[in-house]
Amino acid sequence: MTLTPYTRPLTAEDAAHFLRRTAFGGNEAQLRALTGQSARAAARDALAFGPAMKAGNPFDPASGATPGAMLQLTRGAWLFELLYGDFPLREKLTLTWSNHFVVGTDTVRNHPSLQGYLGVLRRHAATTDFTAFALDVSRSPAMLRYLDNDLNRRGKPNENFSRELLELFTTGIGHYTEEDVREGARALSGWTFTGGRGNQRYLEEPQFVFQERQHDAGRKTYLGQSGNFRPEDVVRIAATHPATAVFVSRKLHRAFVADAPDETAVQGSAETFRRTNGNVRAVLEELLSSEVFYASRQRIIRSPVEYVVAAVRAVGQPKLDPKQVLNLTQTAGRMGQLLLQPDTVEGWTGGRAWINDNVLLTRMQLAAALTLANSAPPLRDVPDALVLTGRERDPALAGLGKLSVKQRTYLGLIAPEFQLA
Amino acid sequence: MTTPTDSPAPAGSETTSTTRRDFLKLSALALAATSGMPGFLARAAAQAQVQGGAKTLVVVQLTGGNDGLNTLVPFTNGAYYAARPNIAIPRKDVLGVTADLGMHPALRPLMGLWDAGHLAWMENVGYPNPNRSHFASMAIWHTADPTQAQRDGWIGRMAEKIGDPFCASNLGATGPQAVRTARFALPSIDSVNGFQVKLPAGLEGAFDALLAAPRQGEAAYLSQATRQMMRNTARVQENVKKYRAGATYPEGRFATQLRDAARLIAAGIGQRVIYVSLGGFDTHAGQRAEQDELLGTLAGGLSAFHADLKAQGLADRVIVMGFSEFGRRVAENDSAGTDHGKGSVMFALGEGVRGGVHGSSPDLETLSDGDIIYRQDFRGVYAEALERWLGLNAREILGSEFTGPRWVA
Repeated sequence: MTLTPYTRPLTAEDAAHFLRRTAFGGNEAQLRALTGQSARAAARDALAFGPAMKAGNPFDPASGATPGAMLQLTRGAWLFELLYGDFPLREKLTLTWSNHFVVGTDTVRNHPSLQGYLGVLRRHAATTDFTAFALDVSRSPAMLRYLDNDLNRRGKPNENFSRELLELFTTGIGHYTEEDVREGARALSGWTFTGGRGNQRYLEEPQFVFQERQHDAGRKTYLGQSGNFRPEDVVRIAATHPATAVFVSRKLHRAFVADAPDETAVQGSAETFRRTNGNVRAVLEELLSSEVFYASRQRIIRSPVEYVVAAVRAVGQPKLDPKQVLNLTQTAGRMGQLLLQPDTVEGWTGGRAWINDNVLLTRMQLAAALTLANSAPPLRDVPDALVLTGRERDPALAGLGKLSVKQRTYLGLIAPEFQLA
Repeated sequence: MTTPTDSPAPAGSETTSTTRRDFLKLSALALAATSGMPGFLARAAAQAQVQGGAKTLVVVQLTGGNDGLNTLVPFTNGAYYAARPNIAIPRKDVLGVTADLGMHPALRPLMGLWDAGHLAWMENVGYPNPNRSHFASMAIWHTADPTQAQRDGWIGRMAEKIGDPFCASNLGATGPQAVRTARFALPSIDSVNGFQVKLPAGLEGAFDALLAAPRQGEAAYLSQATRQMMRNTARVQENVKKYRAGATYPEGRFATQLRDAARLIAAGIGQRVIYVSLGGFDTHAGQRAEQDELLGTLAGGLSAFHADLKAQGLADRVIVMGFSEFGRRVAENDSAGTDHGKGSVMFALGEGVRGGVHGSSPDLETLSDGDIIYRQDFRGVYAEALERWLGLNAREILGSEFTGPRWVA
């Protein structure tokens, strides 16, 4: 059963909802442009993003004096693109994939390999071939380093990547055995990168290599199939496993529909995923123009990064100086989401797990800094209820009429409705 | 600062135990009758602060799967050295605690506690049908449910039973599943100093009105969480000024969080459980360097924490219980690391702890898939803390009867 399409022309509230989910919110001009369009056209246009990056990005990771500074600049460069870029859906998907194919800067401290990894995520953000995506990210030096496959050699298995490939990247728990993990590790032996770990030349980009001599060429049995599997074979087998369609579809529903998605709808997307041989773009286009998408309002708690980006976009994308942008990456980090640094290989849990006292406090501080503080940037747009809450007349914002524009905006940004998408 | 105005009226003085019990019964009904908000939150303000003298349990999570064999080392066991030619702790380096077991050298700061009989090691702790996924295994320890059917954390359930959402707090930016309930997470305090709200003057009324608007679903959850946060921050800031550190803590986040834990305890705010995490134990490669450093951080922080509590005169009211989601494989891998294993050691320390090694050393001759076989269910270790330290009914919280070593004095 595929998803039922949403056939009515988009109302202003539909448009606001769509932009909250795909673009961290939208301003009035963007809302007007979408209103009256068909859901299918809106989805198709949003997914037709290109590779261009926003001009004028002040951050060049290579200019950092130390590896740590390079990582900070990498985060700053990404947040700049999130805040000001013309393809917010591409960046939203990149963020989503960075929480699926997780690497972390606790071990990956080489900035060129992080650039390479982010490049793979952006290139495949709405991939037409999930298997190709899985292969590219699996061969990225950042991933090989993060999950130790550079140390996985014939007769000397390291199971780390093999396990997470199944548990977190493809089928999910319950569809493989410990034996599959071990056999997968054998098959993945030999995939590594040049330069090796501990390389102090931080500006040198490691390259993927297959070291045939380190590869276990023997026969393996993996997810019910047998053969002299090479590394790409096990990635392909895992990526095309029927359970992978469900596992990946559920991730997409969590990113775009609800923190606790409806399983029937997930199955609908999984069917499309299987029918199209892992065409994520097709799955997304169907999803973003479905009844289930438009029926699901205020069901996603914005992550710290999403909140930061949405807040800056809501007040009209004021030009922040580079130091402020770097501070915002740290602010998101204090709320539990430092870009490229999830706590563990499982990534951020999301949903209600984002919310605690500390996070709510920090959101209030950020909202004040953007609106009320002496150092607050000029309010370039005055966001109305539709922009802030997704509703034209929101009872929560009623009765704030006596306040100043800045005060109203401040309260809008800390309202529960703004913290949701 | 604003004073929350939405709290239910205090239900009189709940000082006698009878009244308290009746009140909790009524609260249970309230929980069933209200929708969208657990009763324990609604009645939070009605709960008097925990009476003086209450005991606190500090839970320390070692994230990533700490290698128990290199933590409490079976240094007379040839099989241990045979399985780990590169990463075994040499016999000459271990800190002997029994004839056959020795602590990792990085744990030296804890030797004073061991000698005083205030450090306990629990051997071979695990659970049935072990799961080697970090995520699944950690969830099992957090929910105390190896079938993975429960969503609520064991500390969250405890908080519901006690009836005070402030009785357990996590220190850190994000709360672990252990402190979650179906509808709410207990407080997470990233830093005590930063745990305060300064609402701009003149906006208090508008802010209260904003939060009071009727809502459903996630929006209701967020407005409730915000109101609870306002109460929690007020409660902390009213009290923490009393604290003066009684020891010098090492640098670093872990020690800083332990210092905040001491501060909360000394302030007498009423937490029964405080949760702290130390991450990075997923040592698939180069384990010695990584784990050595982490255990040093652990021991340095805990040692300062204990010294501080002693200086505050609180050492008899606090115990620490530490765990990790699993141990590592017995045999080292070829990256001088270890892959995911099963059972591991737990530890506990404090003056209320019965020091010593509880349980027998792991049998390295009889393994299951290369892992040690667990002999002690971790829920038995929890039960001891709940029952004999916190004075709670462990069965109600853990769902069944579990027995553990008598590690609480």
